[in-house]
Amino acid sequence: MELRVREAAARRRRYFRLVLLALALVLLGSALFSFWVGYYPLTPDQVVKAFLSRFGWEGELPDQAVTIFWKIRLPRILSALFIGASLSVAGATYQGMFRNPLVSPDILGVSSGASLGAALAILRGSPNWLIQVSAFVGGVAAVAFSYLVSRKSVHSQILSLVLTGSMVMALCNAGVTMIKYVSDPNDVLQQITFWLMGSLTKADMDSFRWSVIPMAVGLAVILLLRWRLNLLTLDEEEARTLGINVRGYRILFIAASTLLSAAAVCLGGLIGWVGLMIPHMARALVGVDYSRLIPASAMLGAAYLVLMDDLARSVLSMELPLGVVTSVMGAPFFIYLILKRKER
Amino acid sequence: MLLEVESVWGGYGSKDVVRGVSCGAEAGEILCLVGPNGCGKTTLFRLMLGILPIRQGHIRIDGREVSGLSPKELSGLIAYIPQYHNPVYAYTALDVVVMGRAARFSAFDTPREDDREAAFAAMEKLNVLSLANEKYTALSGGQRQMVLIARAICQSARIFVLDEPAANLDYANQQRLMEALRDLAKKGYCVVMSTHSPEHPASIGNKALLMREGQVAAFGTPAQVITSAHLEAVYGIPIDVVTVQDSRGVKRTICLPVGGGK
Repeated sequence: MELRVREAAARRRRYFRLVLLALALVLLGSALFSFWVGYYPLTPDQVVKAFLSRFGWEGELPDQAVTIFWKIRLPRILSALFIGASLSVAGATYQGMFRNPLVSPDILGVSSGASLGAALAILRGSPNWLIQVSAFVGGVAAVAFSYLVSRKSVHSQILSLVLTGSMVMALCNAGVTMIKYVSDPNDVLQQITFWLMGSLTKADMDSFRWSVIPMAVGLAVILLLRWRLNLLTLDEEEARTLGINVRGYRILFIAASTLLSAAAVCLGGLIGWVGLMIPHMARALVGVDYSRLIPASAMLGAAYLVLMDDLARSVLSMELPLGVVTSVMGAPFFIYLILKRKER
Repeated sequence: MLLEVESVWGGYGSKDVVRGVSCGAEAGEILCLVGPNGCGKTTLFRLMLGILPIRQGHIRIDGREVSGLSPKELSGLIAYIPQYHNPVYAYTALDVVVMGRAARFSAFDTPREDDREAAFAAMEKLNVLSLANEKYTALSGGQRQMVLIARAICQSARIFVLDEPAANLDYANQQRLMEALRDLAKKGYCVVMSTHSPEHPASIGNKALLMREGQVAAFGTPAQVITSAHLEAVYGIPIDVVTVQDSRGVKRTICLPVGGGK
C-alpha cells in the first residue's frame, strides 16, 4: 500500500516530465515550420544552412534565402516566441498571485499604460525607437502607480491591487481616447490605431534585441522562483505561517511580470487573450503545480503565438493583425472556460 | 514551558482585542480556548503566530520571544491549521503537504526527494497516506484537516494551532479529529485549539482557557475552568455541568444550558 502510493506519485512525475519534453518538441517544430510559412518558404535544411552562413559556412544557398532568414523571418519568429512565452508566464503568475484563474496580465494596467505611452510619443512625432521606449516606460509606470496607491489602502493587498489596477486602466484609456480625439485623423490617428492593434509587422532585429533583455530577466526570475508561486495561491496569513515573506515575493513577481508584459507590448502592441488562455491549457496538460506550470506555459505560449502569427500572415493575401487573430481564437475559449468551470 | 503567554495585549490598529491574557501549555498537552464569538480567541492565535504585533506583554515559545523571530524561524516552531481552506487550484494532497517544507529549501529550488519522503512519512503517521495522490479540492472537510495536520508535521513545528477545527465537521468526523489530536499530544506535540463546545476541553484537553471580552475569565485544568459558575458568567445563560459515566465506565462531563427550554 505505502509503496503503491509512492510509486503512483513517482509515475505521475515521470509522466509530466514526458509531457514537458513533448512540449519542447512541439515548440521546436512550430518554430521550424514558421520559417517555411510565407511567400518564400524556407525548408528546415535551408534554415540550418542560412544560420550557419553567418558563421563562415559556405554552401549552395541563394542569397535571397539568407537575407529572408536573417532580416525577415528570424526577428519575426523570435519576437513571436518571446512575446508568447512572456504573456503566458505573466498570466500564469498573476493567476496564481491573485488567486483567480480568470485574471490576465493586464490586471494592473500595464497594457493601458503602455498604450498611453505609445500614443503620447506618436502624437509628438517621435521616431519608432522612442515610441517603444515611451510605451515601455508607460507600462511600468502604470503598474508602479497601481502598486504604490494600493499600499495606502485599508483593504487586503490583493483586493486593493485589483481596485487600483482598474482605476489606472480607466485613466490611461481615457488618456488614449483623448489623444486619439485631438490627433490628425489622416496621419497620427491612423498610426496610433495601427500601433495599438497588435501586430509583428514592425518587429525587426533592432527592436527585438533590446526588448529581449527585460523579457529574459522577467522569465529568468519567475522560472527560478516558480515553486514559491504555489505558496502565494494560499491565504496570505497561512502562507506567512509556512515561513515565507508573502509581500516580498509579491513585489518580485509583480516586477518580473511587468517587465514581461511591458516589453511584449512594446514589441508587438496589444495582443490579447494569450496570457489568459495559455496557462489554462498548460494546467490541463501538466497540472497546477507551478514548478511545471511555468515552463509549460512558456513553451506552449511561444508555440501558440508563433503559429497564430503564421496564420495572420498566410491566411489572406494581405496580412491580418495578430491581435485580431488571437482575440478571435481566445474569446470563444474564454466562454468555453466559463461554462466548463462548474464541473470541477 | 513550551508555550508561554504572559499578560499579552494586542489587536488591530490602535484597538486592543486581547487585553492582558496569560496562559501556557507544555509539550504533550492540549490547550482549549473557549468563549463566545468576538472574545479574542482568533486574535490571540494571530498574536501567537506572529501575524499581529504584540503591543504589550510576552509570548515565548521554548523560551524565545515570538516578536523577535522571523516568519521562517517561527514556521519551525508553531504551525497554523486553518479552518476554511478552499484553494483555488486543484493541488494533490501531496503537493499541499510538501508546502510545509517551504522554509527548508532555497527559494530557487523545487521540492526534492527527501521533501516528498517527509511528506509521505507525515501522512503515514496520520493514516492518510492513501490520499496522497488525490486532488485536495475533492477531499472531505475531515480529510482536508488531516492533510493540513500532516503539513504542520512536515513543517517540523512543535505547537499546532487550530482555529475551531470541529466547526465544519459532522459528528463522527469530529470524534475522529479529537482522537487524532489526542494522538498528536501523546507523541509530544503541543496542541492549541479554539472551540465552541465547552465539552471539548473536558473530553480531550489538559488545560482550558475561558475568555470573555479579550480577558481571561478562567485558566487551569478543565475541571477547574469548566464549571457552572464560570460558564454562566461568560455566556450569560444558566448552564449545568454534570459528570456522568458512559456505558464503558468512563467519566464524562456534559454541559447543559438550563431554564431556556420552556
